[in-house]
Amino acid sequence: MILEAFGVMLLAVIVVLALDRYPRIAAAVAIIASLLPLFALTSWAGIMGISLPSFLAPLEFESSLVYNLGPGTLNLAITPLGWFFLLLLATSFPLALLFASSFVRNRAGGFYAGMLLTMLGSFGVLLARDALTFFLFWEIMSWSILAMVLRGGDRRAIVSYLSFGSLSAMLLLFGFMMLYFKTGTFLFGDMHLDTSLTTLVALSMIVAGLAVKGALMPLHVWAPHVYSRSEEPFVAFLSGGLSKLGYFGMLLFMYGIAGLSLLSSWGTFRDVSYFGYALAVIGAFTAFAGTVLAVMQDDLRKLLAYSSVGQLGYIAIGIGIGTPLALTGALFQALNHTFFKAVLFLAAGAVYYRTGKWKISELGGLGYRMPFTFLAALFAIFALAAIPITSGFAAKWLLYEAAIEKKFLFVTPIMLIAGVGAFLYAYKILYGVFLGEPRYDVKEAPISQLVAMWLLVLPLVIFLIFPGWVADLAAPILSEYGMQPIPHTPYVITTNLAAYNTLAVIFALMGALLVSLILYKWKPQEVVPHEDNYLAGEPPELYEYISMHAASNYYEPFEDVFGPVFRRGAERAWEIILAAAEFLGNGARRLYTGLTQDYSIYILLFFLILVGWWLLW
Amino acid sequence: MRNDDWKKVSRLVSKKSLWMVHFCTGCGAMEMPPVMTSRYDMERFGIAPMATPRQADVLLITGYLSIKTLKRVVQVYEQMRDPKYVIGFGSCTINGGMYWDSYNTIKDLSKYIPVDLYIAGCMPRPEAIMDAFLKLMEMIEKGEAIGWKKYHKYYDQYKRNQRMAFSYRLDEVQDIKEDDAK
Amino acid sequence: MVDLIALGEQILLLAGMVTLGFAIGMFFNGFARKVTARIHNRIGPPIYQGYIDVFKLFAKKTNISHGWIFDLAALFSVAGITLAFLFLPVAGFTLLSTEGDIFLILYLLAIPALGFALGAGASGNPNAAVGIMRALILMLAYELPLVMVVVAMMIHYNTTSLATLVQMQSGMHWAIFVPVFFIGAIIVDMALQGMLMEKPFDIAIAPHEIASGPMVEFGGKHLGALMLYKMMAIVVETTLFVDLFLGGGVVLSVSQYGWIAYVVNFLVWFALITLVFFLALLINAVFPRFRIEQALKFYWKYDALAALLILIWVFAGVSI
Repeated sequence: MILEAFGVMLLAVIVVLALDRYPRIAAAVAIIASLLPLFALTSWAGIMGISLPSFLAPLEFESSLVYNLGPGTLNLAITPLGWFFLLLLATSFPLALLFASSFVRNRAGGFYAGMLLTMLGSFGVLLARDALTFFLFWEIMSWSILAMVLRGGDRRAIVSYLSFGSLSAMLLLFGFMMLYFKTGTFLFGDMHLDTSLTTLVALSMIVAGLAVKGALMPLHVWAPHVYSRSEEPFVAFLSGGLSKLGYFGMLLFMYGIAGLSLLSSWGTFRDVSYFGYALAVIGAFTAFAGTVLAVMQDDLRKLLAYSSVGQLGYIAIGIGIGTPLALTGALFQALNHTFFKAVLFLAAGAVYYRTGKWKISELGGLGYRMPFTFLAALFAIFALAAIPITSGFAAKWLLYEAAIEKKFLFVTPIMLIAGVGAFLYAYKILYGVFLGEPRYDVKEAPISQLVAMWLLVLPLVIFLIFPGWVADLAAPILSEYGMQPIPHTPYVITTNLAAYNTLAVIFALMGALLVSLILYKWKPQEVVPHEDNYLAGEPPELYEYISMHAASNYYEPFEDVFGPVFRRGAERAWEIILAAAEFLGNGARRLYTGLTQDYSIYILLFFLILVGWWLLW
Repeated sequence: MRNDDWKKVSRLVSKKSLWMVHFCTGCGAMEMPPVMTSRYDMERFGIAPMATPRQADVLLITGYLSIKTLKRVVQVYEQMRDPKYVIGFGSCTINGGMYWDSYNTIKDLSKYIPVDLYIAGCMPRPEAIMDAFLKLMEMIEKGEAIGWKKYHKYYDQYKRNQRMAFSYRLDEVQDIKEDDAK
Repeated sequence: MVDLIALGEQILLLAGMVTLGFAIGMFFNGFARKVTARIHNRIGPPIYQGYIDVFKLFAKKTNISHGWIFDLAALFSVAGITLAFLFLPVAGFTLLSTEGDIFLILYLLAIPALGFALGAGASGNPNAAVGIMRALILMLAYELPLVMVVVAMMIHYNTTSLATLVQMQSGMHWAIFVPVFFIGAIIVDMALQGMLMEKPFDIAIAPHEIASGPMVEFGGKHLGALMLYKMMAIVVETTLFVDLFLGGGVVLSVSQYGWIAYVVNFLVWFALITLVFFLALLINAVFPRFRIEQALKFYWKYDALAALLILIWVFAGVSI
């Protein structure tokens, strides 16, 4: 059924391209085709030890497939790790399409075709069991993302994505080739790596290539441009779903193929391999810098993009630390980030759909106008800021515990302070867009957009109550890596250091809310219009001349302190590298003078060096 | 406990916590610092300055009011929550004081907002202000400080007077008077 | 049925503790005003002024709201701070906190803050927005030295559970008696000053600049709820300090002395949080106010640098 699924999705791509003029029909076709990965997911639920009723799994997918494709073979099989990441992608993908059905109007066929191709590519990446299949599907995915970026039409986004995408492809290809020459096989199952330097270089290259997609600093430069200049349903899927493929690849190569003992063979520091330690430090830096940069943005999409970069950094920290606790935390964070960031991007899209504005300082007061969008975004923001009334807290908590357990003295405070920084930009979104002075008299978002957002909020609530279920999902993945799952029940997660009991939190919160509600409802109140506001007694007639929305340059004192250090730092660094390369290239160009005698001198010099080297050696 | 008893208890306690917003017009504002600081220390009666009318119970009009300022005073007064009390400082709020013949100050504050208590003097000494607060507390306890109730009851009349004051052309005043006649 | 009775007892105990917490918080309000007044050479309000004020606010006849998002502030701030209090070990009582840990409490403390910010923002008053901005930046500022010291302590004691930490400090092995954590206590006390928003860090409220900032539109019962939150926050935050450095006020072991230990521990805990709060008040009474970027620089330069020394000490200590 896997091949048929690919075939049907390709067919759907052609159909939606043909249906370019009928966006609604195209959306319907795309949504039906997008259900295939979901059915594959439910059909494979058995390998995670989940038994689903048969009506949820109407199609039967084989668990592995070897297909001869002329010059090579496609090796596909489902693994617990692939299943977990398929869960994230396959559930958020149809909802992004559902949102798009009312959001995308012009050239809709191309949009759905590109979306389906990215999903097709990532489906293949998740199932790939050899390096070439992985690379093939990875490139399908990457190039279809480029097609979607081209639709946005922003030059900076296209150039940065293209350059970093090709860098990523080069690094991956080099890495795979080095592994091939080392082991003589592309099959993941047969790769038995040794502790040589070549393997280390190959692994580092692969991880760096994957980090481009995962938007780890300093390879994140493309992400803010692309996230802020493409259509929101696509960005929701890109930031929520596709960026996780980088971390899927890291888990696959670092723990699935190389293994913990191999990583540790290159030296350890307090039982954490240097390799992982470096990744964790980069992740912590990414988390902090991404957060600081997010606080400084005024464009809603840019803010969410940098917040994405920051939140993805936490996953890298978890993967770097590499204990069962940390890996569970990383997987949990990946799951949370998929849903809350998708909701936030979709909510930004819904706001844009109604108001046509992206700038936070130009929006305001939409909370009373679009209450359901606001509530969905509020839940997502609670998850983003790791407030313990959504599942966001459990993931961060696992990562903090893992870092403390491994005595990461300097990474842990950075993680924690990045978590506090998340409050800052979270409140900037809340205040700038949804609270404050109502400026737009708009309607609530269309029903399809609301359904998409609220279905994405659902997992955040479910995994708040049952964080143990994520630990259950992580258990088969950990056992593949030869690790023990963390001790847990559905409600309580226990570590060496402490425990987190969600039921206690929820019941206490419910009780406290109930009591304060009674205390609060005791006295009657009247609702006054927004104009009745204390402004040192200024009468309301003057309000049309005064903007009461204080959202532009909201964190100005903060920017004064951090701005000089962080603003455009990474881009400037890359520009310096670019200038150096240009300088060297220009110098090299001078060698080609077009004169025969110069070339003969070069040849002579070359031979002299060759002879000299031979003599000296 | 009967409702009346409850009200009595409520008044008895509330009088010990008067939060004031002082509308600093005129020279009366100068008399507030000694009242607040260590010489007289009004905080020992639970009286504290507040930043906004939303939080306050007592509005202090500390001097003359021009028409323009009256607009702000009405806005501030209406933003305060019941029960609320007004204290007028000095002769300017009683009868215009030394501005009795000015074209742009109001002469009698109680025409525009209900005043619970006046303090005579130009300006009143801090002792007089302290005395006024104690008197106001006594009035609250007895249930005599009912300015806010008057404002609800005679809302139309107060609004009419305010509009009369705000309108600067004679024909507008005439219109208001004709409206009243209807 | 026995279970139900046990559950009822548990809930009654929780309710009693929370009521007591609020009562202590309201006492602290009057206490703070009295102490400040005495330093200013005034007589000051009666020490029970906090109770009167809260009563008066809830007895206001009319209340205004700016809509349902505005109302969330009052709900979330009271509920959230109650939750944080329940998860703290208080004088050896570990009701819900047997499993709760320091990160949970730090994040639970964010629920009332964010709920409060939500309501303040919904009022649409620019003063409120500016106040929240200052409060959030201040939070970022003081959290860095705080978490650095806390992480150092957690790694040193190898636990993240405050209940376990309190247990480890029992028998007067208080963390403050360890020289390096004595410095840590000073650093955290500075952070506490910002946490309590006392001068010189009352930047967010600043009644004379931005009309009491976030609270500008709150009156009547809304302000009453917020006052309850602020008063309880004093208890929670000082208790956090006492739990971290002063052994949670536990001086007698319950297994040895029975209910007398509970009473004595409770009194010691109360004396200690009063002492910690009193220190904050002394600083509050004599200092003017920082600007927000000065506060940020103060915390990130001096406080965080000192905290870094502690981290390095623990780093070296752990390596050996």
